[in-house]
Amino acid sequence: MRRRRGRRAIRIAKKVATHAILIAACLFALFPIYFIIITSFSTLPIAAITAHVLVPSPSHLTLASYHTILYSLSPSFTSLLTNSLIFAGSAAAIGLGLAAFTGFALSKFQFPGRRTFVYFILIISLFPGFIMILPFYLMFAKVGLIDSYIGLIIPYSAGAVVFSGILVKNYMDSIPDDIEEAALMDGMGRTQAFFRVLLPLCLPVLGLAAFLAFIGPYTDYALANVFLTADPTKWTLALGLYNIANTDTGEQNYGLVTAFAILMSLPIVAFYMAFQRYIIGGLTLGAVRG
Amino acid sequence: MTGIRLENVTKRFKTDTAVDDVSAQIQDGEFVVILGASGSGKSTILRIIAGLEVQTSGHVYIGDMLVDDYEPRDRNLAMVFQTYALYPHLTIYQNIGFALKVRHVPRPEIDRAVREVAARLGIAETLERRPAELSGGQRQRVALARAIVRKPEAFLLDEPLSNLDAKIRTTARIELKRIHSELNETFVFVTHDQAEAMTLGDRLAVLSHGRLLQFDTPQRIMSDPASQYVASFVGSPEMVFLEGNVLMMGGSSTFVDGPVELPLRGLGGPGQITVGIRPWDVTVWKGPRVGGLPGRVTGVERLGSSDQLFIDLLPRPSGSSPITPASAAPTVSVRALARAYDHGVGDSVVVELDPDRALFFDSGGNRLQSVSASNHPA
Repeated sequence: MRRRRGRRAIRIAKKVATHAILIAACLFALFPIYFIIITSFSTLPIAAITAHVLVPSPSHLTLASYHTILYSLSPSFTSLLTNSLIFAGSAAAIGLGLAAFTGFALSKFQFPGRRTFVYFILIISLFPGFIMILPFYLMFAKVGLIDSYIGLIIPYSAGAVVFSGILVKNYMDSIPDDIEEAALMDGMGRTQAFFRVLLPLCLPVLGLAAFLAFIGPYTDYALANVFLTADPTKWTLALGLYNIANTDTGEQNYGLVTAFAILMSLPIVAFYMAFQRYIIGGLTLGAVRG
Repeated sequence: MTGIRLENVTKRFKTDTAVDDVSAQIQDGEFVVILGASGSGKSTILRIIAGLEVQTSGHVYIGDMLVDDYEPRDRNLAMVFQTYALYPHLTIYQNIGFALKVRHVPRPEIDRAVREVAARLGIAETLERRPAELSGGQRQRVALARAIVRKPEAFLLDEPLSNLDAKIRTTARIELKRIHSELNETFVFVTHDQAEAMTLGDRLAVLSHGRLLQFDTPQRIMSDPASQYVASFVGSPEMVFLEGNVLMMGGSSTFVDGPVELPLRGLGGPGQITVGIRPWDVTVWKGPRVGGLPGRVTGVERLGSSDQLFIDLLPRPSGSSPITPASAAPTVSVRALARAYDHGVGDSVVVELDPDRALFFDSGGNRLQSVSASNHPA
């Protein structure tokens, strides 16, 4: 009896400890977000913010920063957002479309050099993207693609193809050849089998790939900063954010910067919510199948 | 309903030959079983007929049409896969109707066809579900329904029953046979299970290492196998093989292996040959019997309706044989089928081998055709 009670006590203690750790981890992850949210609703200078964040006082809460961003920014927030959506959306769409074919070819077709090609892609994706900025710039400047939409969409899409192509390939590898062959026996050609059977089966991984292909260009600063130099009407959100943070006086308006960051993150959150099912499915790929 | 003809079909993968010069004519409406161990090339033949694999040389005809250059979709054959290969993202209804939809068959017609075949196979209540929610037996029926609904030229079935439980498998076998006789279509069925092959096939094609060893009715393959391999592959329990020498005496020749002596009736010259005899052609007696060979039961395998006895034959007492002296020859073992629970390990028995049912093979495993054997079909 005593022994059982002892065991029970241990079990409770374990649970308490586990939850304490989890709560601490959550606080650690959530606090910065909370910090940013509170800061975005204030106009206080940096020295006063920490105290304000810990004990927010209603008198300092204001929508002024949001107002400034939405109504008196140049280039306007809408322009920045539109540009970002154009770049990230095009890159995700083009990159994903090409990645689907790449994955199909690498997974279901036999051709000489296939393995070498896969390794080649993997090795390429190991290099950090920004080392390619200079060669990209030189190439694109030669053909007059600097300060143009296409000039930036091309490298963004290319980046998406490399990463998503491998992702799709790996997923397609897990779809038995039988299924494609059943489609062929059912009267489809390979192209039709791809669109009507294999592609729908790949939806989970395509959701994840689309999400990643979108976030990359959406949050990119380095490439956009080099490629979009002269024309602020083509600026993206990342450039706009940098512009706000990097004031001439050197004095930071944290309310403005954080409010911008929050507004900027909303589309991603929306995107994530919409495709959550597929993205989570894609992240846990291979864990459970069947 | 169409026949299928293979003409010297060979398939090589890099270094090894999966299908080696196979020729066969499958008749209209025939149920042909391709039987072979794994790696014998049986699935490859099926896939070549389907067009999923292209032969290295030789020709495939469907009906009178040479289809070597035809894509699978242009051959109008249906295939049932071992894994069923149902489309996981579609409902059962969509799975069955997919091929019709691809062919732009009008919607009401698809609906009628799908419901009819689903009712016939007893899966009408599963139509709205997805493959993952079905049992193995149901999935197998869906795979079959998907094939039937298309009204193809012929059905290709790649071990469709091997993923089923033993109990369902027997039922499925009977049902498949029934469906075949109802549809009266050409079926080509691949399996490694000889019992399945014997029960299903109008004719069996026995394959080993890509070669077609024999293509005949189950009865002929059982009673008149072309080679030792075929003889050992079909029939359960497996045939007993005894290796011995041919002794010539006067005008007649006799096979001798220890105490076993069988008249050869002019078959084969001197040297080593192998005798094969089915366990059910070995009779076991409890008491003495003229011409019987005494032995001891060393093992009993209870098969249910009968027992398979493992018997070591006793060496002949010296002087009892006019042909061979008793020697310290290795023990000769045979197997026999006996009535269930009639014998136990250690029992002394007398064994009789039916010389008319014995088959003779040369050292290369080829059948030595005897006049007497062909006079005694099973």
